[in-house]
Order: sequence, then C-alpha cells, then structure tokens
Amino acid sequence: MTDAMLVRRVLEGETAAFTILVDRHAAACTRFATRMLGNREDAEDATQDSFLRAYRSLARYEERQVFRTWLFQILVNRCRTAAGRRQRHQRMFLVDDSAVASASVRPSADTNDLRAELQRAIDALDPEQREAFLLKHVEQLSYDEMAAATGVGVSALKMRVKRACDRMQWMLREMSDVGT
Amino acid sequence: MSEPDNPRWLDGVSDELRRDVPVRSAWRARLLDDVERTRRPSVGDDFDDRFDDAPGMVTRRRRIVLSPVTGLAAAALFAALGAGVMYEVIGARSIARNASRDGGSSRDVALATASTSAGETVRFELAAPRASRVMLVGSFNEWNPAATPLVRDAASGKWVVSLRLSPGRHVYAFVVDGDVTADPSAPRAADDDFGSANSVVLVSAPRT
Repeated sequence: MTDAMLVRRVLEGETAAFTILVDRHAAACTRFATRMLGNREDAEDATQDSFLRAYRSLARYEERQVFRTWLFQILVNRCRTAAGRRQRHQRMFLVDDSAVASASVRPSADTNDLRAELQRAIDALDPEQREAFLLKHVEQLSYDEMAAATGVGVSALKMRVKRACDRMQWMLREMSDVGT
Repeated sequence: MSEPDNPRWLDGVSDELRRDVPVRSAWRARLLDDVERTRRPSVGDDFDDRFDDAPGMVTRRRRIVLSPVTGLAAAALFAALGAGVMYEVIGARSIARNASRDGGSSRDVALATASTSAGETVRFELAAPRASRVMLVGSFNEWNPAATPLVRDAASGKWVVSLRLSPGRHVYAFVVDGDVTADPSAPRAADDDFGSANSVVLVSAPRT
C-alpha cells in the first residue's frame, strides 16, 4: 500500500494506518535529525514533533507529493528550530550509545575513531551546508525534492552541497594527516 | 580512510552516515500515544500547524486578515490595554451572512459572535438555526471535535458555549454538523496558500 493510500485511510478515520507511516519513515527521520543536530535527545524531540505536526495537518498532504518529501519539509523546519534553540547549549558531539550497543559486531576502535571524525566534520559544516549535504548524500533526495523540503532553489542547493563536499574533503584530509 | 581525492571517499562517508540510527521502542510508543490523543485529521480539514515558529521556515506563514470592522476592534483592544483595562477579550461583532435566519441551511451561518467579556471567560455564539450539532474546536482543546459542544440557548436560539481561555492568541472554528466553519464575524487566521477556515480570539495578559 502506498503512502498516499495510507494517508487516505487515516483521513477516513483509520488511525492505525498512521502507525505504518511512522514505521516506514521514522528511521530516516531520526537519522537525518541525529546527523543534523548531533545528539539523540534533540533528534527524537524534533522527529516526534514532526510526526505530530504531520498528523494534525494530514489533510494538507496532496497525493501528487511524495509523502517522504512532504514529511521532510516539516522535519527540516523542526531541526532548524531545534538547532537555533540548541545553540545555547553547544552540545554537538554525537552520543549514539544505542547504535553501538545494537551493532552485531562490536566496532573496532578504528571504526569508532572514523565515526567520531565524520561526526566532527559534519558538525563543523555550516548548518545550511550540513542540511543540504545530508539530504543529498545521506537521504538521497533529488535536487527537486530537496528544493521542496527546504524552500531553497536548486542552484543554491547544488552550491551548498559542493561547498559541503569540499569542506568535508578538506577536514577529513586534515584529520587523516594528524592521525598519521 | 580512503583517499579523499578519490570519489570513493564520498561513497564511504555517505555509507557511514547512512548507517541506521535505531528507533527506540519507548520513543515509538510515546509518539503513537501522543498521536492517539491528538485530534484526528479528516478529509476537508484545513488545519495546518506544520510550520509554526520555525526560523528560516520553508514557507507558508499564517496571516491574520482583518476586515475594517475587526481592525477597528483590534485597535480598540490596544487602546483599552493602554488605558489599563485588564483581561480584555476581543471578539468581533457579527455581520449577518444570511439575512434570513429561518431560510438558510445549517451551513448558512447567520450570526456568530465571540463576545467581549471581562476576565478570561469567552462566550462563543453561533446562529445556525438548522444545525443539529455544533462543536467548538481550537488550539485550546487540541482541535478535538468532541471536546467542546455548544448548546442551543432557549431564549436566543443561538448555539452558545463559554470557555475560560488563557491570555494569548487562540485559533478556533466551529464544526456545524461535521462541517468546519470559521466564525463569520471574527478575525480570520487565514493561510494564503490554502484559505484556512479558522478564526482568532485574542485574550490579553493581565497588566503587572
């Protein structure tokens, strides 16, 4: 059953259909928010708020839209809000104990080092570049979908992604050089 | 780590960042509980709070459109606040949408008033002579269409309910036999893109 069909069922009174939408999209939303905000608590709050806002406004969803893009439009805004709030705390390093605990193979020290370096590099990006980079290279949205989700033009998004890649490349090279 | 100049660099980074961040079962349960408690959306519903309070938000800020009458009422409110009046509530005097109170259907709302009153108690009135059931939904009751029924006043024939509201801006609408209807005389909380059918009542904070 498509997302659009599930939305229709919810609007017809079948609330349980929304559970399926949550289960389909919660992982990607939580991942994006976690990478974007750098910690699980803020990410879960932003994701929860996004789903509730989506639910309350579900009649606004139009079937010609990709539901995931529509949902990400809300999530991007919630992450921007949370990031603004979080600037007061400056708690940027990823704490993702549950991901480590759930891994079938315990990550090596090298793997953890790599993850920490990656997160530091992501955190060091300008928020607009980080947002564009994650939507493009992690969530794999098309530029048109990114434009719909962010309200930013395609040309500007391409520039942000390019600059993010250049900066990531430079930072990871620097980290690699320091480590050798 | 792979050579950053190699395109595989980016693939490696993307793969690592694409690694699942597990959805915690307690978080999922809490979300679904909250969904269960939330006003259920339905076809034709134009409630929309997707983008409230987001900085650099994508699009669609709500806009309050004031008619000349309601604009004057708003101006009167600010004047009253300046004069030290506490807990003023602004509503809008009604304008007859349908001159014939007996001839219209239940959707042809003839008269509605969110009346001005002292304190935080707001009286909502709606003249809908053919309606069999009228509910009040709004930001103050989670838009729950079962939470706040209006009752028909024997003397006036209007549907009425009084509600204590906290100071601030409250968006609301009537549900007349299942159809969401804005208060035809109160300020609208209009949405440019979708034409929201919501109205606004402002309750002032007490002066300190």
